[in-house]
Amino acid sequence: MIARPRRWATAVVTVAIALASLPLLYLATLSVRSRDDVLSGSLLPSKLYWDNWPDTFDAIDLTRFLVNSWIVALLAVVLTMALALPGAYYVARAGRAGDRLAAITMASYCAPPVVAVLPLFFMLRWAGLNNTLPGLALVVGLANLPVAVWLLDGFLRRVPREIEEAAWLDGLGHWATLRRIVIPLASPGIVAAALICFFLSYNELLFAISFQQQQSTQTLPVALSLFQGDRNIEFGQQAVASLVGIVPVYLIAVLAQRRLVAGLVAGAVK
Amino acid sequence: MRKTPASLSWPLIGALLLFSAFPFAYLIGLSLTDSTLARPLNGFSGLDNYADALASTAFKSSLWRSALFAVGAALLQLALGTALALLLAIRGRRLGWLGVALLLPLVTPPVMVGVAWKLLLAPVGGALPEIADTLGSSGFNPLGSSLGAFVSLLAIDTWQWTPFVTLLLYAALLGVPRELLDAARIDGASTRQLLRHVILPLIAGTLVAVFLLRLVIAFKVFDIVYVVTSGGPGFATTLSAFDIYRTGLQDFQVGEAAAATVVFSLLVGIFVTVVSRLHKRVREVAP
Amino acid sequence: MTTSRRDFLRGGVAFGAAFATLPLLSACGSDDAGAALDPSKSATDLDGVKLKVLVNQPNLGAWRIAARLFEQETGATVELTPIPYDKLTSNAIRDVQSGAGEFDVFQYWYVGLGDLVDAGALENLTDFIDERRAEIRPEDFLPSIYDPYTLIDDRRWGLPFDGDTFLLFYNQELFDRFGVQPPQTWEQYADVTRTITGRGGGNVYGAAVMGQQVPIILGCTFADRLVGFGGRFLDDSGKPALTSPEAVAAAEALFAVSPDALPTPLQTGFDQAIPAFLSGRAAMMEFWTDLSVMASNPEQSRIVDSWRPIQLPVGGSNTTHGTSLNAGFGAAVSTLSKHKEAAAALVQFQASPRSQETVIGNFGTGADPIRRSTFAAPEFRRTFGQAAGDVQAGLSGQPLVWPNSVGAVDRLQTLVDELALGIQGKQSAREALQKAQDAWERG
Repeated sequence: MIARPRRWATAVVTVAIALASLPLLYLATLSVRSRDDVLSGSLLPSKLYWDNWPDTFDAIDLTRFLVNSWIVALLAVVLTMALALPGAYYVARAGRAGDRLAAITMASYCAPPVVAVLPLFFMLRWAGLNNTLPGLALVVGLANLPVAVWLLDGFLRRVPREIEEAAWLDGLGHWATLRRIVIPLASPGIVAAALICFFLSYNELLFAISFQQQQSTQTLPVALSLFQGDRNIEFGQQAVASLVGIVPVYLIAVLAQRRLVAGLVAGAVK
Repeated sequence: MRKTPASLSWPLIGALLLFSAFPFAYLIGLSLTDSTLARPLNGFSGLDNYADALASTAFKSSLWRSALFAVGAALLQLALGTALALLLAIRGRRLGWLGVALLLPLVTPPVMVGVAWKLLLAPVGGALPEIADTLGSSGFNPLGSSLGAFVSLLAIDTWQWTPFVTLLLYAALLGVPRELLDAARIDGASTRQLLRHVILPLIAGTLVAVFLLRLVIAFKVFDIVYVVTSGGPGFATTLSAFDIYRTGLQDFQVGEAAAATVVFSLLVGIFVTVVSRLHKRVREVAP
Repeated sequence: MTTSRRDFLRGGVAFGAAFATLPLLSACGSDDAGAALDPSKSATDLDGVKLKVLVNQPNLGAWRIAARLFEQETGATVELTPIPYDKLTSNAIRDVQSGAGEFDVFQYWYVGLGDLVDAGALENLTDFIDERRAEIRPEDFLPSIYDPYTLIDDRRWGLPFDGDTFLLFYNQELFDRFGVQPPQTWEQYADVTRTITGRGGGNVYGAAVMGQQVPIILGCTFADRLVGFGGRFLDDSGKPALTSPEAVAAAEALFAVSPDALPTPLQTGFDQAIPAFLSGRAAMMEFWTDLSVMASNPEQSRIVDSWRPIQLPVGGSNTTHGTSLNAGFGAAVSTLSKHKEAAAALVQFQASPRSQETVIGNFGTGADPIRRSTFAAPEFRRTFGQAAGDVQAGLSGQPLVWPNSVGAVDRLQTLVDELALGIQGKQSAREALQKAQDAWERG
């Protein structure tokens, strides 16, 4: 766009990304190294040590943590989107009142969530949802709301007003217009926003570690943090557990890559 | 033009009341009462908690440190992200596998990011110090010094978030109309002029918006501090969110932590207001 | 839409206010808690009862063994939930505070005992223990740990689970290579550290000094020196004694050795120190006794034949070797348990000689004795090997006790914060301890 495609641009970007993936490649090598080998300080394993993989599944109930993480993240995304879509539509279209709501939403995102742990814990308990996957999904889903509104606002603004006005002339109300016209038109952006919220929910640690008091309802980041507290530090197993957690999400990112980028293209220009 | 019905905003407002207003009211309550984790809301104590929070060297110093971290991280990532996005845009309209690689740090759990970096940087046995050693510079130990630890956290945060910024800005750059660029070229504009007078104004809105989002998220950074430095050495990397966590959930002084949260939120609020104003102005003057 | 915006906002405020009062209501009305523990009632039929236990992650192995024995003996089922050590106290308090009542039994760090009792999280076990003196045999518990681990306000809130003391470990091979002797005093320790680090060329360091700024790490490191110099955290009347000459000397010894230690003490926690020692890069480290188990395991240790344990060095005018109760644990019954008699039975069982000896007899559990009789058990001798004598001497003497009253965790955090600034060179030992003393006196 600025000039003709240039090879050096590719080269620079490639190098930057190679550097950026270093920690993850290192993580991958950790998963096949013995504890002894990790501490030798080299970047690459001196000998492949595959025992970490079966050992990890023996040491922790990895499958359950994974399933829990997925359930929580999926439920949370559905909730976030259900609440954020009409909200963001209002923000995008209601002029001053919309700006005010956007400001309030953003303001609610500013405070560190640490102290909210206490009241939210009481709230979940009152609702009978403490220690359940829907309970955690509720909190995480609400926590990501501001990010979703922020992203969706841009996407929804891009929907041409004329199309909406035509829909009103056909007798559709705002809700119906949102459902039947705006959402389909903005769907690439919505998918992108939903994916980003999914990643955020999937990786959430603070609420998960505070609310999920039983192993049967804990998520993968909690399991990862448990490795940290151990005096017998199993670097290899920790790497295995995180790779097992990252790979499926990464696959989604790969599969949805075009949609994600296309969605962001549609929405990022504000 | 019809008035947008308020009912559209209700789900969001309801959620905000549930998730923000109620915890915030509770927070104010905690900050004005004698509250520990064991006995929350245990008798009105006036502004004692605020006095305690502001008397705490750890918390006071964490405020400007957090501001420095958030502004520094947001600016650094914006600069890097813009540069990378421009390079990507120069490459062409399709990202291909590079897009995939950009998403990788974003989807990695922060806990794991922290662990990987901590192992890479460990002074004895860490891969990077060992490499520095073979290259002849022994004693490479960024986490051991105050400045080094702070910069390391900035670097780790930048590693995790720059790709996100890049993607958003790349998207914005693709939104710059081709005809405009071609026209400017025909008028004899140099690349530098093109950047300054055509592209930058067009993406300024996005730049400020992304800056705002990054600023807010960077103010809240917790996981990597928790895993990589635990706030140390000394208080060199004790950012406010971590100090509040420590005070409230590790030392059980919930009232003081609540007061600290209120003070900290005010600080974040000031920054966000300033940037939002800027955002608004940019949006108004943008073509 | 007929509802005006104002109406809606009004509704919202009322809604918010209703929510804000809920926790108060729920805290008052935790009606589903079981009745208080009846000390005279024994849990006669435990078959089919399910008990949930909150345990410290590093002790999970020990709990698995104790729980399996209990299950075999009683027919009850025990579900263990491990959490990181820094969340042990806060999660227990929150479980009871919120009225959730998820757990029947809490493992607790004795330093947090005062806060737990203050939160009303623990059932008073005084009468329960009195009724069962014959079975529990409290006189068999080590006097050095029984009271600090279980007694607050003259009442008993739990039974000990794990003694947990520190020893100094060194690497004989490295000592031979550098021609140094095992240190008896902290002064000698500093000399040895300087010698080895100086000649080690950046590959070998004299000592790994754990200085990460949390009570359970830097607190331990300071406590080891404090007991060596003959100091205490609190004087006999219970007042802070942080500015005593012994305490100042202990902090000075810590600050002085830091530049020569494995870089750098403030970033050294378990995860740096243990690998450095086990791979032969650090010649000394202080740790809980279970380091001997790790050091003997060829899968993780390159020093299987060269590690040696000794008692912590002494300093100043003090010549009596002591140890410090750095991370002792107990087990207690939750006030919200619905099976209090059964929960108390598990607490009693895990502290029984049979359970203790089986746990200690298994390598890798990291458990230390809580009973005198355990010292005579073959399991103890077998597991602790060459460290057995020092462990027994340390626990049988007068180990350093950490504060365990309300707010103790907060006060210890203040202490390690000030010490960390001292290690950084930002203040002297006296200044650091004076500030901590002032904070402790303010309460």
